[in-house]
Amino acid sequence: MIQKKICLLGGFAVGKTSLVRRFVTGMFSELYQTTIGVTIEKKALVVDGRDVTLMIWDLYGEDDFQNMRESYLRGSAGYILVADGMRQSTLNTAEALHQLAQSTLGPVPFVLMVNKADQFKEWEIDEATLTRLRHKGWLVTTGSAKTGDGVPELFVQLTQKLLEAD
Amino acid sequence: MASSSSSNFSSDHLPEAVLQTLGLAILERVGTGDTFRLIGNQPAWWASTFEASPELPIAAGTLSPFLQHFLVDCEAAWRGDQDNMMRSGPWAHRDLASDLHQFEATALTASHRPLLLIERIDERFGQIQTLLQQARDQRLHHIDQVKTHERTQTSLTGSLAIATQERDDLLALLQHLDLAAIVTNQEGCVTFISPRCLAWIECPSTTVIGQPWEQSLPLDSADRKHLRQTWDALTPQHGRCPLRLTSKTPRWIDYEIHADPQSSERRIILLHDRTEVHHLRQQLDHQTQFHDLVGRSPAMLQIYQLVRDVARVDSTVLIEGETGTGKELIARALHYSSPRKDRPFIAANCAGLTDSLLGSQLFGHKRGAFTGAIDDHHGLFESADGGTLFLDEIGDIPTSVQTSLLRVLQEKEITRLGETRPRKVNVRILAATHHNLNEDVIRGTFRADLLYRIRVARIHLPPLRDRRDDIPLLVQVLLGQVCATTGKAITDLHPDSLRLLMTYSWPGNVRELKSAVEFAVISARTTCLMPSDFPEELRHTQRDHRPPASQESHHAEPKAQLLRALQQAQGNRTEAAKLLGISRATLYRRLLAHHIDVVE
Repeated sequence: MIQKKICLLGGFAVGKTSLVRRFVTGMFSELYQTTIGVTIEKKALVVDGRDVTLMIWDLYGEDDFQNMRESYLRGSAGYILVADGMRQSTLNTAEALHQLAQSTLGPVPFVLMVNKADQFKEWEIDEATLTRLRHKGWLVTTGSAKTGDGVPELFVQLTQKLLEAD
Repeated sequence: MASSSSSNFSSDHLPEAVLQTLGLAILERVGTGDTFRLIGNQPAWWASTFEASPELPIAAGTLSPFLQHFLVDCEAAWRGDQDNMMRSGPWAHRDLASDLHQFEATALTASHRPLLLIERIDERFGQIQTLLQQARDQRLHHIDQVKTHERTQTSLTGSLAIATQERDDLLALLQHLDLAAIVTNQEGCVTFISPRCLAWIECPSTTVIGQPWEQSLPLDSADRKHLRQTWDALTPQHGRCPLRLTSKTPRWIDYEIHADPQSSERRIILLHDRTEVHHLRQQLDHQTQFHDLVGRSPAMLQIYQLVRDVARVDSTVLIEGETGTGKELIARALHYSSPRKDRPFIAANCAGLTDSLLGSQLFGHKRGAFTGAIDDHHGLFESADGGTLFLDEIGDIPTSVQTSLLRVLQEKEITRLGETRPRKVNVRILAATHHNLNEDVIRGTFRADLLYRIRVARIHLPPLRDRRDDIPLLVQVLLGQVCATTGKAITDLHPDSLRLLMTYSWPGNVRELKSAVEFAVISARTTCLMPSDFPEELRHTQRDHRPPASQESHHAEPKAQLLRALQQAQGNRTEAAKLLGISRATLYRRLLAHHIDVVE
């Protein structure tokens, strides 16, 4: 059994907890409830014929009220950056957290998930920006915790990269 | 729980007892590994949270993945330094019933003992979460508001751009249509004025916007009053006559006043430049009409110019032309174009009067100068003092009067009959005749010196047959006059009628034409004048028959025609002359020629 710790990083209210809940329980709640501290969920999955257990660290959202503790990242095999497509500022936060994670963990696999694709018409983050990040070598996906679109793929893609990195 | 822990409240165990009372689990590290033992009693939540028995050594890393991670950080707090303490921060952990609870762990060293305190912070966490939730909700709300404002701003900017574009398009359209527009608010103050209008009134928009509309347009008082009346009518109105903008470059404008379809209290004034039309109309009027003279044939245009030229000077003028060509109209045009226009114009017909009667009429008489002179009487010369005296049919005046007239022209003074004292007069003489006065001089019936005196300037009116191109215009004008007089509504002239009028020789000239039109209007049964409506002689006379060249030819006219006309007019000579299409003076002359009694 392979066990991997991964972290979800992102600004507040981008949907980190919703993505984890959707992935782990298949459920979604419209009610926004802010996360304080750390919630750790466990999810077993089979990727490329291998049994993998993900220890998913849902870290509180980064903002003026709560700053990310670097120590939480320790031992993480990879991470998911989450941004809210409707708020350009959350992509800036994700980029800043990426810098922090890279300096803490080194070059570990990561995926950028731009959430809330169900409200794509309201997005401030445009395709050109995402293309720019892809050109930088980022794995960028879009999806919605609300509809579930792109959520399993997000975790599977990261797990594949983790396995490749082994 | 308080009673069970009271046994531990010795002075050595007081801090631990306090912590236990607060619900903390106190674990003391055993050795240097991850093994711990629980000090004192287990807190109430322990049994439902962890499977590890508190009586046995506890592998703290197995309690929760988070604690396992945290133990690495704790080493710094357990290195024997009393002041070191490490807090984990909150973390969530599901109890044995899968309910999620919030915990916080603290690593510290007390009395050289490495301790790990685990606290379930559900209640405290709830308060913190509520506060943070409110703060973040407010932040999200603020972000939404900013976004909404940005969207609104974008939308308004877009709308403004569209509105600006529409305004520019509208202005371009107004400009292209040469249309000037003013929009006013409910107070009648200008809220919009098009660039074209600004150009017309020669003012910057800043001096007009916000001002009452009346102050914006440079108009004279009559036009302003007229415009005000139209404005007050409160219904869509077209101006009945053009207004004159009295700016540096005057303009003639037509205007319309409408209520704004968007708001009935707002008004839209549309102005149309009619300056060019006005000038063209003026030019046309000038060309086709001169005072009461009608015609635009080259001959008439020459005469108009000659009249303008002669009017400027004070010379005596001889007006020649066949009967009915409009000699008196020329005399009037001369007078009213001259500096004497504000003084009297008096016309006197010299035909058919005896010398004493004519002398008295012209020069006046003293009481008792002749039988019937019962009072002093001033003549036409004195009446016309300062003005113009028009002597029609001057070729018919008796020789004695010719002498007196010559004296007036030479000395500028008259002497009333029966008086000896001359009186100074300032009168311009205009004379007219259908005679050939040169022949009269040779014949000895007209004084040569008088001829030269009265023929200082000379205007010869062409007969109508020599300016046939004027006939349609004359008919149009005469028809308008006759219809106005008779009250009949004749709108058309049949092409055959026009052909008839164009081919007839018109010996009686314009006067005869007028009579023919009058006759036709009276005869007409429809709104169109047919050839049958005109006098019979027009339809039966040979085309282009030459008119009588001299007075003798009039003698050849049938006496019966004159008598018939008199009979039809029941002896009224003015009416008889009208029926014949000749002047009253000509009628008298012809009656005399045919030895018909002229005494009324």
